[in-house]
Amino acid sequence: MNVTFHSPVPKAALDNKSNMRGSKKKFTAEHEMDIDDDEHHHENKLEGGIIKDPTIHVVTPAEVITSDAAFMRGHGTYVEDEKVLSSLAGVVERVNKLISVRPLHTRYAGEIGDVVVGRITEVAQKRWKVDVNARQDAILMLSSVNLPGGVQRRKQESDELQMRNFFMEGDLVVAEVQAFFGDGAYSIHTRSLKYGKLRNGSFISVSPALVQRCKSHFHSLSCGVDVILGLNGYIWVSAHVPQSLDEIDTEQVYSNKNKEDITPSDRESIARVVNCIRALAQDYIFINDSIISFAYEASLQYALKDLHKRHVMHDIATEAVAAVDSIKA
Amino acid sequence: MPSLISPAERDYILKGIECNIRADGRQRSDFREITLETSVVSQTSGSARVRIAGGSDVLISVKAEIGPVQVDPETGDGADKGQIICSIECAPSASQQFEGRGADDLNNELTQMMSRFLCSNNTAISSLSPTCSGSGGIDLSKLCIIPGQQCWILFVDALVLDYGGNLMDAIFMGVRAAIYDTKIPKTEVQDLGDGQFEFEVLDDEEDIDFVHGREDMPICITLNKIGTRHIVDATLLEELCTEAKLVVAVNRAGEICGLQKNHDGSIEPSLLLEMIQVGKTMGQALIKNLDAKIKEEAESDLTKRLQGDPARKLGFFAQ
Repeated sequence: MNVTFHSPVPKAALDNKSNMRGSKKKFTAEHEMDIDDDEHHHENKLEGGIIKDPTIHVVTPAEVITSDAAFMRGHGTYVEDEKVLSSLAGVVERVNKLISVRPLHTRYAGEIGDVVVGRITEVAQKRWKVDVNARQDAILMLSSVNLPGGVQRRKQESDELQMRNFFMEGDLVVAEVQAFFGDGAYSIHTRSLKYGKLRNGSFISVSPALVQRCKSHFHSLSCGVDVILGLNGYIWVSAHVPQSLDEIDTEQVYSNKNKEDITPSDRESIARVVNCIRALAQDYIFINDSIISFAYEASLQYALKDLHKRHVMHDIATEAVAAVDSIKA
Repeated sequence: MPSLISPAERDYILKGIECNIRADGRQRSDFREITLETSVVSQTSGSARVRIAGGSDVLISVKAEIGPVQVDPETGDGADKGQIICSIECAPSASQQFEGRGADDLNNELTQMMSRFLCSNNTAISSLSPTCSGSGGIDLSKLCIIPGQQCWILFVDALVLDYGGNLMDAIFMGVRAAIYDTKIPKTEVQDLGDGQFEFEVLDDEEDIDFVHGREDMPICITLNKIGTRHIVDATLLEELCTEAKLVVAVNRAGEICGLQKNHDGSIEPSLLLEMIQVGKTMGQALIKNLDAKIKEEAESDLTKRLQGDPARKLGFFAQ
């Protein structure tokens, strides 16, 4: 028993942007058209952390972005008295004359083909509702899942009656975004042996902005741990199960049983990886398989039970970033 | 935040606890790190914010107001006592399940538990330990201004800003810190004769009282029984696997000030005794660390004030 109490520390200064490796968005530094009014000159000072980059314009809801009528309002803004105001807390982005605000915290905005991890919240008529960290629950149609045994046929009423044998409320699934509905909800599918129910591990949720789209979202780390990086920020870390698509027991796709031989050392590795991901997320560092491996290496010098400590987590994240940098150099 | 859990996750957590490796690498008796700041809300008499790393976040405020004393019509008790009124509210932004009326039941349950632990004035206990006026520890008679008429009422309000398991422990740590931080203005009572009294509240910043008996306030340790074992400081997913929950309220001296069992699972007598014992020792250790932190906060505030430097609080800009 050892409880430690801390004083709060200032939020990591946003000038830590260098940590956001591979950021696709670059803030344009050109200033041929100044959107700031003189009277609304922003200093970009935050309590605790000072943003050094003068091109970043942080706004809060109802803050005037510009009163110049030449600009068009984009996402996250509204017009009042011919002024463009922010409706969100975030950073201003401008493309020519279009002004939009990118929120600091946001829900998952998906695209077709994204791999997502979700949790079944409801079993409905011919469909499951799945929480995927988006504005609305995603929908998994009964026609978008594989039948156990891999039989190919139309779904009948008998399948509808045993939907809970496939997925129950609370079950975690990995799926792919298939289409959008008219109201913006996602339709997802599990029609591949890669997708389906998740077992043998533990769940962790990070900000969806931290998971980047890559070639693969299924990774087997060298420490004997499998990681599924859902683009919605939900991550599944599990014990390694040998994967060759021919050998998969198709009858077992919907099983709720964990495998018997998860050893304590497997559990330790899984917990280590979970804590590494949490450490990276805490420092707002993009999460991919290589940085997780580096963080894992860095974590080995600490005892497992110390990994949830704030300074240890920070050290691990810093070391992992340094390791990635040294490879790039 | 999930309110559901899959059978596979439950099995994984259960077996992990069995071999003393929890899903986040902690052992059964490990707490997460706690961040604490006092005097965060300037409008209150005392306030604190407690955050458990990666989990619950609570803001506690204590407001001292003057009001009429509440006399029990049957026993005539309470004429010379102040009051403590507790309220806990879960913000809808903390979790999806708190939206609309979703948090009502939890609010009631937590408020009732807190009132029971803090306000109960059980004479049976106070006869055992003369330093403590009741299991709540706080000396209510010191809150009385004019017996039979006016007293201080302490409104203890807790706002749950984020929900990540182990709420009750976080709230009680916060309440202890906030009560420690509470400053009540001194009053001067004048006797006008004929049993008439008048009083004046001194508004000098130096003429303040602290809450008497604040050292004897209890905190609580929640023990979650999962499988055949029990753990402290459960995460959200671990709470979903919990069969039975035992909340043990302990004071500085290691005296049990309250017990409450939640959920529908059972606890074997031998395990129950063990859990109470664990709660007791852990609670005492926790109070020790917590008090050290609270004192450190108070001292740093004081030195800053003496230097004429307004105490800057990080509040919601903190990490």
